[in-house]
Amino acid sequence: MKNSNMKRRTFLKVTTVAGGGLLVGCSFSSPKLMSTPQASKEELGMWVRINTDNKITLILPSSEMGQQVHTGQAMLVAEELEADWKTIQVVTAHVNEEFKRSSSGGPHHSSSQGTGGSSSIMGWWEKLRHVGASTREMLIEAAAQKWGVSVSECEAKNGSIHHLSSDRKLSYGQLASTAGKLSPPDNPTLKNPAQYRFLGKSMPKLHTPSIVNGTAQYGIDVRRPGMLFAAVRQSPVFGGQLKSYDEAAAKAVTGVEAVVPIPRGRFAFGSTGDGIAVVADTTWNAQKGLEAMDVKFVGGDTLGLNSSKVSEKLKSSLNDMGKVDVQAVKVLEVEYEVPFLHHATMEPLNCTADVSTDSCRVWVPSQKQDDCMEAAKEVTGLSQDKIQIHTMMMGGSFGRKSTKEYVKQALIISKFIQKPVQVIWSREEDTQHGTYRPASMSRFQIGLGKDGKPIQWENQIAQQSSKMLNQVPPLRWFNFDPMTYPASVHDGIIFNLPKKHFYKVEGVKMSHTPVDFGVPVGSWRSPPNIINVFYTESVMDELAHLAEIDPLEYRIKFITESPKHKAVLEQVAKQAGWGTPLPEGHGRGIAINDWFPLDEDVTVVAQVAEVSITNRGKLKVHRVDCVVDCGLAVNPDSVKAQMEGSIIMGMSAAMFEEITIEKGQVEQSNFDDYRIAKLRDAPEINVTIVESEASPTGVGEPGVSPIVPALTNAIFAATGKRIRKLPIGRQKLV
Amino acid sequence: MTELKINGKVHQVNVEEDTPLLWAIRDTVGLTGTKYGCGIQQCGACTVLIGKRPVRSCGITLGEVAGKDITTIEGLSPETRHPVQKAWIAEQVPQCGYCQSGQIMAAVSLLERKPNPTDKDIDRGMLNLCRCGTYTRVRKAIHRAAQMMTEA
Repeated sequence: MKNSNMKRRTFLKVTTVAGGGLLVGCSFSSPKLMSTPQASKEELGMWVRINTDNKITLILPSSEMGQQVHTGQAMLVAEELEADWKTIQVVTAHVNEEFKRSSSGGPHHSSSQGTGGSSSIMGWWEKLRHVGASTREMLIEAAAQKWGVSVSECEAKNGSIHHLSSDRKLSYGQLASTAGKLSPPDNPTLKNPAQYRFLGKSMPKLHTPSIVNGTAQYGIDVRRPGMLFAAVRQSPVFGGQLKSYDEAAAKAVTGVEAVVPIPRGRFAFGSTGDGIAVVADTTWNAQKGLEAMDVKFVGGDTLGLNSSKVSEKLKSSLNDMGKVDVQAVKVLEVEYEVPFLHHATMEPLNCTADVSTDSCRVWVPSQKQDDCMEAAKEVTGLSQDKIQIHTMMMGGSFGRKSTKEYVKQALIISKFIQKPVQVIWSREEDTQHGTYRPASMSRFQIGLGKDGKPIQWENQIAQQSSKMLNQVPPLRWFNFDPMTYPASVHDGIIFNLPKKHFYKVEGVKMSHTPVDFGVPVGSWRSPPNIINVFYTESVMDELAHLAEIDPLEYRIKFITESPKHKAVLEQVAKQAGWGTPLPEGHGRGIAINDWFPLDEDVTVVAQVAEVSITNRGKLKVHRVDCVVDCGLAVNPDSVKAQMEGSIIMGMSAAMFEEITIEKGQVEQSNFDDYRIAKLRDAPEINVTIVESEASPTGVGEPGVSPIVPALTNAIFAATGKRIRKLPIGRQKLV
Repeated sequence: MTELKINGKVHQVNVEEDTPLLWAIRDTVGLTGTKYGCGIQQCGACTVLIGKRPVRSCGITLGEVAGKDITTIEGLSPETRHPVQKAWIAEQVPQCGYCQSGQIMAAVSLLERKPNPTDKDIDRGMLNLCRCGTYTRVRKAIHRAAQMMTEA
């Protein structure tokens, strides 16, 4: 069949594997490979591999970073495939057109091959079930053929096809070779939800056993024959140049084999300055070599920058946007400020590359397969068919492991030394070369009418922009930075976007100034909500107080067109005992969020936090209640885990975290000065998932934003002290 | 040449004596279950047992542990039969899982010292960092493991 006749989205093709087995997949880029029985799994854009021993490998589009997407996506395929769950194993796919988000047919916030936006289940919901169902129907047909009966007499059940009127059954492994010669259906029958065995159940997570016995492999655990290790130092002042280094001193360290300069790069999310790498037989020796080298850098984009100047510049940008004269019965005029934040993934950045003259293999913990392929092409000059990107499981990412610089470093070094190499960033390097959540400041001038509702709402936001603004000129014309666009209470920004905020508020005007400090910024779990929800939900709380109306009741006044938002908010309030008496000195705060704010179908999350202040003035978080409506919870325990984890991460950011700049460099370097939450900080967390039959919407990110204002609102309720600057840190709370 | 006894097996390791144990375990012996998180004993991802004592292996050198009994995550039970591992699976603790080797080794040691830990014991004894926020499940799993071990 010619490519031009194929409908990308629905057509599947099968072939057999050498040695017996079934590959179900689709290949448009290299049709010649499809007809080759010996085609390896790397060459086909395939989804399902059934071996004759009944083991099933699912090749999945998304990267695993702790959100349990491998388990969730496997459930979608395995359900329709009617597979035996115990036979399932998974890998993230190689780079192939078939796995681009644009080919999924579902809602995503990007078209490339990659993971993000909490869209892995939602976006692949249709396609993955289709793949499973098609495969099931081919297996049924194969069995029917073998038995000489019609397909209507056969049923798929838990990894076998049964003949209904006799005792005969054949396992998928036994049927695989036969099924491999059949044509898949274009429109397979999907299951009725009443038939679900997996979907909606908390299936045990696939990676847990290997995690608890230490065999799970992350990017940093990749070991290749002859592999060396590389330690890297980049200019601490962003964009700086390499001035000098003592190569002999590095090479004098035992085990050091090479010193490799790394040229600066300009990426969408910030430039990197020059860097230098030391290559050795062990990570430790590479690091020792680096330390022996007395590396000096000069210049840079952020020379002379410090955090005071950041705040000053944000403030002056707000002033440049101008204050408005607000006339009203009651006026709220406040400014809010949030700092740069670091991802602080437990696994630091790393990448392993093996570059030769005619091939390139990369093992990388990454959310962005397409970007890794681009990096490999750029550095090696090889064509895509000569390059393999193996996506490794990540020890956390939250948006960090989606840039090219660490991938390029491994490629550059391997190409230079002509050996496989693993680049590991030290914790210090990782902390000081992040793609930070932007620093931001927001001013609100809101006038309330007699009924306590706003009649005028003026909002200005000044925020560190991403480099994207400079690299894509049309964005600059519209002053639209996708990284930092405001999504707080708005009436469609300047684009007149169709999707409006769930709060129906009159008279909202907002303006936004991107400010370029030269500090690299990027996606920190749920951009831009991680900033904007703090602003919006704090201000709603302040207005409620000004209007002398209960904060829950006040919010409800503006949720006039979304029963779902209203229901979630009311349910969490009820669950938390909102309004019921609390011990002396305790307070409750409430906040609501949805994700992805510009989508039609959204996940709604609302949270209530209960806090008190100790007599030493420290914040104690006792309890957090959380209600989430995410449509069908494909794996309820995964949803619960994402809410729990998001709450702790959001809490950590609110209470402790900030990246500060001094002399153009990040001041923090490790966990001793970039503090994150510990076990003893964790409150009691109660999560309720709203029962729903709607299609799934995302859960990886929506839970992390609302906890921040829920906490600061709770502090206000407990003590009357309003926190308008984060982190809460050492601010006086009474 | 240093002799390291890891999970009951002797390894002759030919690296400098001042090499941190973590890197000898990961890069020389080749057991990658023990993780690098910070290098300055702040995060606990590198936690192993020396005898019964939990030790952050990034902060101890080969010279200091030569000849001692070292247990890494791989030494608990590859079949995940250790009560702490079973509890971890029952409570579905891990998210990304990177910190979990260290969490489990720290928990094993805590339960050795305090077979029925209170929440305060857990607060004080479990200082390993987890960025994904699995803390509430770590706590539950420790209580569960304690119960399993008491009933055994």
